[in-house]
Amino acid sequence: MARRWLDYKTGAWVQWCPGCGDFGILNSIYGALAELDIDPTNLVVVGGIGCSSRSVYYIKGNNVHTIHGRAIPIASGIKLANPELTVIVTGGDGDLLGIGGGHFTALGRRNIDIAIFIYDNAVYGLTKGQAGPTLPLWARTKALAYPNIQGSVNPLLLAFAAGYTFIARGYAYHVNQLKGLVKAAIQHKGSAVVDILQPCPTYNDFMTQEWYEKRIYYLNEEDPTWDPVIRSPEDMKVKAPRILEKMLETGDRIPLGIFFQDLTKDTMEERLEKAMPGYLRTPPAKRPIDVKGRITLHPFKIFKDKLLET
Amino acid sequence: MTRLTIDLSIIIGGPQGGGVESAGQIALKVFTLKGYNIIGTREYHSNIMGAHSYFHIRASSDTPRALRLPVDSLVAIDAESVLTHVNDVAKGSIVVYDVGSINQDASTLAPMEHSLKKRLEKMFSERGARPTVGEAIKLLEERGARTLDLPLKELLRKVSEETGSPLASIARTVNIMGLSAALYALGVEFPYIVKAVEAQFGKRPKILAPNIAAARIAVEYTHEKYGARNPLPDGPHKGRVRMIVTGNEVVAMAKIVGGLTFESFYPITPSSDEAHYIEENKYLDVGDVFRDVGLDKLSIVTLQTEDEIAAIGMALGAALTGARASTTTSGPGFSLMNEFISMAVEAEIPIVISLWMRAGPSTGIATRTGQQDLLHAIFSGHGDTPKIVVASGDHVEAFYDAIKAMNWAEKFQIPVIHLLDKYLASTSVSLDEWDVDPSLVEIDRGKRVYGPVKDYKRYEITEDGVSPIAPLGFNTMIINSLEHDEYGFVSEDPIDREAMVLKRVRKVETISKSIPETEKALLHGDPDAKVTIVSFGSTKQAILSAMEELYREGVKVNFLQVRVLSPFPRDLVSKVLAGAEKIVGVEANATGQLSFLIRAHTGYSVGHVIQKLNARPLYDIDVVYGVKRIIESGVERVVVNSGS
Repeated sequence: MARRWLDYKTGAWVQWCPGCGDFGILNSIYGALAELDIDPTNLVVVGGIGCSSRSVYYIKGNNVHTIHGRAIPIASGIKLANPELTVIVTGGDGDLLGIGGGHFTALGRRNIDIAIFIYDNAVYGLTKGQAGPTLPLWARTKALAYPNIQGSVNPLLLAFAAGYTFIARGYAYHVNQLKGLVKAAIQHKGSAVVDILQPCPTYNDFMTQEWYEKRIYYLNEEDPTWDPVIRSPEDMKVKAPRILEKMLETGDRIPLGIFFQDLTKDTMEERLEKAMPGYLRTPPAKRPIDVKGRITLHPFKIFKDKLLET
Repeated sequence: MTRLTIDLSIIIGGPQGGGVESAGQIALKVFTLKGYNIIGTREYHSNIMGAHSYFHIRASSDTPRALRLPVDSLVAIDAESVLTHVNDVAKGSIVVYDVGSINQDASTLAPMEHSLKKRLEKMFSERGARPTVGEAIKLLEERGARTLDLPLKELLRKVSEETGSPLASIARTVNIMGLSAALYALGVEFPYIVKAVEAQFGKRPKILAPNIAAARIAVEYTHEKYGARNPLPDGPHKGRVRMIVTGNEVVAMAKIVGGLTFESFYPITPSSDEAHYIEENKYLDVGDVFRDVGLDKLSIVTLQTEDEIAAIGMALGAALTGARASTTTSGPGFSLMNEFISMAVEAEIPIVISLWMRAGPSTGIATRTGQQDLLHAIFSGHGDTPKIVVASGDHVEAFYDAIKAMNWAEKFQIPVIHLLDKYLASTSVSLDEWDVDPSLVEIDRGKRVYGPVKDYKRYEITEDGVSPIAPLGFNTMIINSLEHDEYGFVSEDPIDREAMVLKRVRKVETISKSIPETEKALLHGDPDAKVTIVSFGSTKQAILSAMEELYREGVKVNFLQVRVLSPFPRDLVSKVLAGAEKIVGVEANATGQLSFLIRAHTGYSVGHVIQKLNARPLYDIDVVYGVKRIIESGVERVVVNSGS
């Protein structure tokens, strides 16, 4: 019998503020997992630190609550050591693009089959509303004494430059559409990122529900021929300019949907299998390392490059 | 019948990237082939090409525990090597140099350290001379060295003519020429040189031919000019298969045979070569060993990450799935790993960190040795962060410790920091099959549970502080860096908090009880000696060697080598120190880090210290000198400073 979204819900009290966008994201993830029928014992949700990272308590899985900014390295190690696990990362814009920005870009280069969900509210909630890396220049939210004098990063362009093979943007209050993006990101083979715009009703009084809903629109609704899928190097040449144009679109109009999906690149797991045939059958988590507790390999038998017969 | 003891030390100097490393390796092979035990280390600048580097080797019919100064031969095919090592040479030694360098003056040598130039100026001006190669050679001759002047330019042309290789492509063979001349003068027969050169370059025939020719031409020249030498007798270690291995490599080997399946790292001297050797062997043909489980190749995921934070983070992630995982680094990288070490303690994740210490603080001297990270290792990570810190004294210990470290990490679900250093990293030794016998160590993965467990509690409170550990993928659970309850669910409850803190501390008691006393600390030498040296790490063999020398001079000392530094073996150390009249600490750091620990844990003061602070290896003569000074004058601190 197929799973239902309730199968992923834990008994934990969800401690987000009323009206928080995180609720919509959580419900989208529940829905996507149920539709994909993912076994919770095979699921790993890795969180950083922040409101969003607490999702690890609310989704049934083998979850890891890590430290600030470092969910991606932990998730990468998990996936490479056991590629059979479904690994997703939940974190905020501060966690993933601020303190963890180096890991975010490195993951794109590797194309490990992990889905990253950025709960992007442009503020640091748990520490009381400081500016996040996606807060626009000169914006002043209520916790800031002065307007923001640092510019914002564009998560989609950053992901594109880094080499992510699935890049999408969603909106937290559109649970149904977001569920589709989350599902597609998990299904995609390779590093996927969904930048999820969300109001923070407590601290971001600038980018409010009203502010977002005046601006957002869906790429495939405006243009039914929108096709972000790259199937060949030729495709990339033809489609990249339009994709980049849409990624660059900010201000009064904010597009949502799948911007880019590259099907031409190997995942890191496939690269490892090429380098070491058999890796996928016995990855690090599963490879035997002893015979009944005994070490059966002797350095003199295997490291012959260091031997000398006297 | 007394056996003839042969004990030879050589320094081979030259510009970095110019073939000194190969020449050193060849020298090690020559003496190993001749039946001697060897030790050899590489000293180099943080530079790709051009700065002075040297290879210091010692070959002995006994066990050459440490490098020895002064040396019996100096191969100095460039001016900087002659001048840099002018004071490192023993009476009667053989100094090989290039006739063409005779007029070179220290002041014109661009790569030479400014301070060394000044010291040389001063030293030679006292003799009314300039610091030139010619003057240095004159000084060496006065001091009783036998000098051997090779016309390198001429000999090089001969090699070029004979092999048809253009001059530029064989320039590096000057090292082989210098070395071959010195070896021949020391009595090594030419066929041994050929065999060693073949062993070094065997896979690269284009390099092999000119090097063999260079060796022969240098030997012929030496023979013509200086006549035949008494052949060096064969050493006692002939007729078997031996291994020449660096500390970096022996740790890599231990990890591989000990079941490592995942190593992530970020490049940093002097740890990188460990990771590189694992990478070279990451897809190992193991024949029949794992046939029963359908494996003929062993794969190890080795991954260069974006920084050291990711290096330890990925290893931790891998460990959560049940993989045997480790990372390797040095001081600066270890600083970056601190927050994750703290997480490994809180979330109880097994992890081995090989920490190859180098000379700090900060970037310090990246390519030189030191022991300044002992306290950093022990106190790494914020919060109460109990962990295991084990320091290896030599290559053989490093091999077994690396395997044990992986066992301990998994058994106690705790970070294990394996303390090593640059000296061990780039020092080669000859080993026998029985020196690195992994069957002496079992693989112990602790309380591991595979498969679904009803009502699984990842952090179950247990008497020994260790909970059953299930890899990700069989149950649902939470691995948590936040304080948590038994299920791993976040909890700020005061009762939960206290229980978890005490559980983690209880593990320390369990560890202390589980690790045999002999592995925690070793007392070397006469237990009744009145002077006790205390030290840790790679100073071991130099101290043991110094003890032999001191014993010959009638000075009786013993040596307490502390191997497990956390949890600190308090009772054991107290017992030994209770009987000591004089306690002498030997450390390559200025703050007396081991002395601090001993005082903190046992109440005993380390009354005297011998400190090596010049970022060069500790030599036995340093220890002999230091101990004698302390006994004679009662001085508290002796800073010893051998090495160029």
